[in-house]
Amino acid sequence: MSNQPVLELKNLTMQFGGVKALNQVNLQVNKGEICALIGPNGAGKTTVFNVVTGVYTPTQGEILFNGKSLKGKNRHNITKMGIARTFQNVRLFGEMTSLENVITATDVHNKSGLIGSIFTTPRSRREEKAGREKAHEILEFIGIDHRADQLAKNLPYGDQRRLEIARAMGTSPEILLLDEPAAGFNPAEKKALAELILKIRDRGYTVLLIEHDMSLIMGISDRVAVLDFGEKIADDLPSVVQNNPKVIEAYLGVPADAS
Amino acid sequence: MSYNLRDAGANLWANANKWQRYLIAGTIIVLAFSLPLLEGTFFNTPSTPFVSVLFYPIGVYVLMALGLNVVVGKSGLLDLGYVAFYAVGAYTAGLLSIHTKLNTWEILPIGIALAMLSGLILGAAVLRLRGDYLAIVTLGFGEIIRITALNSSAVGGANGITNIPNPPTTFGLKFDLEHPRNYYWTILILIIITILVIRSLSIRRPGRAWESIRQDEDVAELMGVNTYKYKLWAFIFGASVGGAAGVLFASKAMFIAPNIFSYNVSILILAFVVFGGMGNIWGVVVGAVLLSYIPEKIRFISEARMLLFGLVLIIMMNLRPDGLLPRKKREKIGVAGGKAK
Repeated sequence: MSNQPVLELKNLTMQFGGVKALNQVNLQVNKGEICALIGPNGAGKTTVFNVVTGVYTPTQGEILFNGKSLKGKNRHNITKMGIARTFQNVRLFGEMTSLENVITATDVHNKSGLIGSIFTTPRSRREEKAGREKAHEILEFIGIDHRADQLAKNLPYGDQRRLEIARAMGTSPEILLLDEPAAGFNPAEKKALAELILKIRDRGYTVLLIEHDMSLIMGISDRVAVLDFGEKIADDLPSVVQNNPKVIEAYLGVPADAS
Repeated sequence: MSYNLRDAGANLWANANKWQRYLIAGTIIVLAFSLPLLEGTFFNTPSTPFVSVLFYPIGVYVLMALGLNVVVGKSGLLDLGYVAFYAVGAYTAGLLSIHTKLNTWEILPIGIALAMLSGLILGAAVLRLRGDYLAIVTLGFGEIIRITALNSSAVGGANGITNIPNPPTTFGLKFDLEHPRNYYWTILILIIITILVIRSLSIRRPGRAWESIRQDEDVAELMGVNTYKYKLWAFIFGASVGGAAGVLFASKAMFIAPNIFSYNVSILILAFVVFGGMGNIWGVVVGAVLLSYIPEKIRFISEARMLLFGLVLIIMMNLRPDGLLPRKKREKIGVAGGKAK
């Protein structure tokens, strides 16, 4: 693993009225690593994703992607640059098939648009074919290619979560932001998901992961960053973070006799 | 409902090979072209010649419903001012044919282009709005066009434009009052072209972009869809179809006035789309044909016919809230080039 940063948050502050959802957060995600972002509910984890993908404009600070600032970039342009995400509550295009969901994401790098589609130009034909093949390949990789022609809304819950990852991969990102991919999974499914995330990393993607399941996090992460009330309170190897008193305090509270 | 017309049709198509598909499409086209033969049969309309009814309202409304379907049905943008583009097309035909020597076929592309331009202008201004807000602003836009026409003497004010010339004789086909059939065939050709274009758009990138925008605009944007651009394209495409319908209408009717382009027309076209099945080309065609034919057929009950018309709508929407032939809910391969893998 190199120490080349893919994503850097610098003194990032996100304020909603009087609430500081993020306060001076610094975070660096290096190429090829699985970085976990944990913290109690409301700590600001999803806000990090929203700010990075352009849903919110940060109040202060900046975000660098491969050294380039994301300031003022449109959401679809940020995706095109190589940042893709999934959603905490599954948000697939339910009335499209699994395959179409992924192809829609692959379209981001295509050049042919309306005119090319009307006249079926060779480029449009080529891009359509390539998109379909790529989508099948990704579904195969995720392990849900047998669901390719089913409507996304009719998929079992677990496959919907996997399809979210597949769709994000469709945009050919450099970094994947996974927002609680294991939510609602049973232990067996969590184990399979952990293996999948490792497989995704080995394929060359960088992963930033929000998750509540500690055994999953500790098992696969290269590094764990902890947020609490919008501030980063720890950022280290999983084993070190696990024993950090501030982290334990954030999760479990202060013992009564210590105060 | 055990027998499902939409699925039966879609299955027939999906299981057909290339030649069978040509055969099916060819049969439908031939049948559509021979509809004027029904003149004088049970289908006759009481107060207007049947073949004239085939052109207007049926043909014109089918064409407009197809255009609006791209905006409302496919992209989920509620446009209540669609009549504006129809008016732009009709007024372009009226003004240019009076003041220049251009004939209808030369005006047609100009009318389409001007309608697209107005679609671009309206779209660029209002497409940052969503849902109800978009509906209100487009409703206003439709009225602005009508009221502007009503109050500018340059376009005839309330009297409108009269004596708009008919199209010239083309390929030996005369376009005048005695030959309504030729108008019908012309608009049928436009309808077929529109259907083919919408089909090829639907199964490719623009179709997916529109579909994703309709289902979840924020997620579409985050998955890299340039939502603003594709919403604008949907608007412009819809406008071009409305403009084409306007040009043809003006050259057949020979007379246009602002009150023809009231917001009722927008609502009526929207009713066709919803009644037929939003997002489904065939549903929209069937819906527009039925709903524009029935009021003509029952014209003998005069004013009460709109009452009956409303009743049909209410009963229908209770029985089939998704429309006559709803968009596909079946699981099928919705990509270009037929079967995947």
